[in-house]
Amino acid sequence: MTVDVLDTVVTAETPEGILLELRPAGLSARLYAFAIDWLIRILVLYALAIATRPIGGVGTAVWLILFFLLEWFYPVAFELWRSGATPGKRLFNLKVVMDDGLPVTPVASLARNLLRTADFLPMLYGAAVVSVLTRADCKRLGDLAAATLVVHQPRGTRKTVSAAVVPLAPLHALAPRDQAAVIALAVRAPLLTKDRLDELAVLAASVAGNDSDPGPQLTQRVLGVAEWLLGRRS
Amino acid sequence: MTPLQFEALYQSEWQELEILLQRFFVTRRKAEPGTLQGERLATLYRRVCEQLALARARSYPAYMLDRLERLTGNAHQVIYQRGEFGIATVKRLVSVEFPLTVRAHAAYVLVAGALLFVPMLIVGLLVYFRPDLILSVVDASTASSFEHMYSPTAASIGRLRSANTDWMMFGYYIMHNIGISFQCFAGGLLAGVGSIFFLIYNGASIGAVGGYLTERGLGVTFYPFVATHSAFELTAIVLAGAAGLRLGHSLLIPGRSTRLDSLVAATRRCTVLLYGSTVMLVIAAGIEAFWSSAPWLPPGIKYGVAALCWLAVLGYLTLQGRRRAS
Repeated sequence: MTVDVLDTVVTAETPEGILLELRPAGLSARLYAFAIDWLIRILVLYALAIATRPIGGVGTAVWLILFFLLEWFYPVAFELWRSGATPGKRLFNLKVVMDDGLPVTPVASLARNLLRTADFLPMLYGAAVVSVLTRADCKRLGDLAAATLVVHQPRGTRKTVSAAVVPLAPLHALAPRDQAAVIALAVRAPLLTKDRLDELAVLAASVAGNDSDPGPQLTQRVLGVAEWLLGRRS
Repeated sequence: MTPLQFEALYQSEWQELEILLQRFFVTRRKAEPGTLQGERLATLYRRVCEQLALARARSYPAYMLDRLERLTGNAHQVIYQRGEFGIATVKRLVSVEFPLTVRAHAAYVLVAGALLFVPMLIVGLLVYFRPDLILSVVDASTASSFEHMYSPTAASIGRLRSANTDWMMFGYYIMHNIGISFQCFAGGLLAGVGSIFFLIYNGASIGAVGGYLTERGLGVTFYPFVATHSAFELTAIVLAGAAGLRLGHSLLIPGRSTRLDSLVAATRRCTVLLYGSTVMLVIAAGIEAFWSSAPWLPPGIKYGVAALCWLAVLGYLTLQGRRRAS
């Protein structure tokens, strides 16, 4: 039954015995988030430098201390906040959680951010890039040691794909994987040529009635099943 | 039961849970204490877990599974969230947990201490007897600026203070020194090599400067300057290095667990050392900026306070929290 799927889902079991699905964020999403955070820090430091310059020595002290705090504790502060994400991460819908899906703990957040130094080596986050690219759960070294994950926040379900299609109950119950396949087909439908869409819909013919000939009608019914699976009833 | 009947049956519970969670995530701070209803939330959470398991086993449609997964995921986060990081936690950390963790890592602390102090002594003595060796550590202009900084006639001792104030140096010390201690810790991930390198490197640098200034006869200003804050600064760097060594050790010799499990366990334990190390470095920066550098304080007083500080730090690390831990 088990089929190897090229996917990065990490499952975490709760004490109640259900499996939560966590979707680790890959290199590009994390890189964009990092770039945003980096920009924010630069801008804040620049603004502070202008603001503290007239105050003299005390101003410089404040600036240096804030520089230090921003460099090391900017991510820690935001991760321990309710959202579990820095502004950059929030923008890209990412979040830091523990391996078991729980909110990140203070020890783990501190550890993963202090160990950033090791991730930076040998230069420009080389170690982090290699680690994120080679591991299925996309952890950098700091995440490994702190047992944390950077995950995509689940989005709300799309309610409908195409309003023009009449929803249709499937002829038999579909396993979640098969449901996902039918829905994915409906999502991609506008991008496919008509012939190719008909061709693919044939593969799902069993859910919409085997007897019908391949063609636009069958395709409409398969798409209707997808709508039904997404919860539309009329 | 069809999916639609299932949904109709439990819809109201899901909506109730969604509203409760909404209150938690959005309006928690503004909410009245009574309106959060933790007990009800826990009950609903358990029921939704059950319903999710049923829905999965029966292969219900995707939108419903999705809704249930989001509900359980969010409720899970709320119910199993960590306790607040309040005053009581900090108090326990200071009075018991931190000194206890230091003693639990005694072997690492001793090795880290040796890695810092032995090179410091050796290089110090080498430079003292062969002063030209300082030039293989720093260049000539830096060496002469050290001499200038610690000359007894300087207005303030320590790093050069042209038009700078104590406050500015406080900021600089915080940024610079705590950064060093964090490096000593993070270097542990490179199988401990990074920690060892940073400890030896910093020990050797301090030793070189100390040996050079002593040979130049500037010990009269140098030692009173460093004696007090070094109690906090050097100890803190040793502790951070010890944490790094523990990380490296857990990677190299994981024992009966996998390397990854061993690293995770070690990190969880020894990050507590970093809490204390950071606080000690902030104290050290304050002393270094406002006390050590004051030229009008006679060396006798500075030495006396320094001895008290060293005693206090070592006593705190070795004795504090013994009774309550046992």
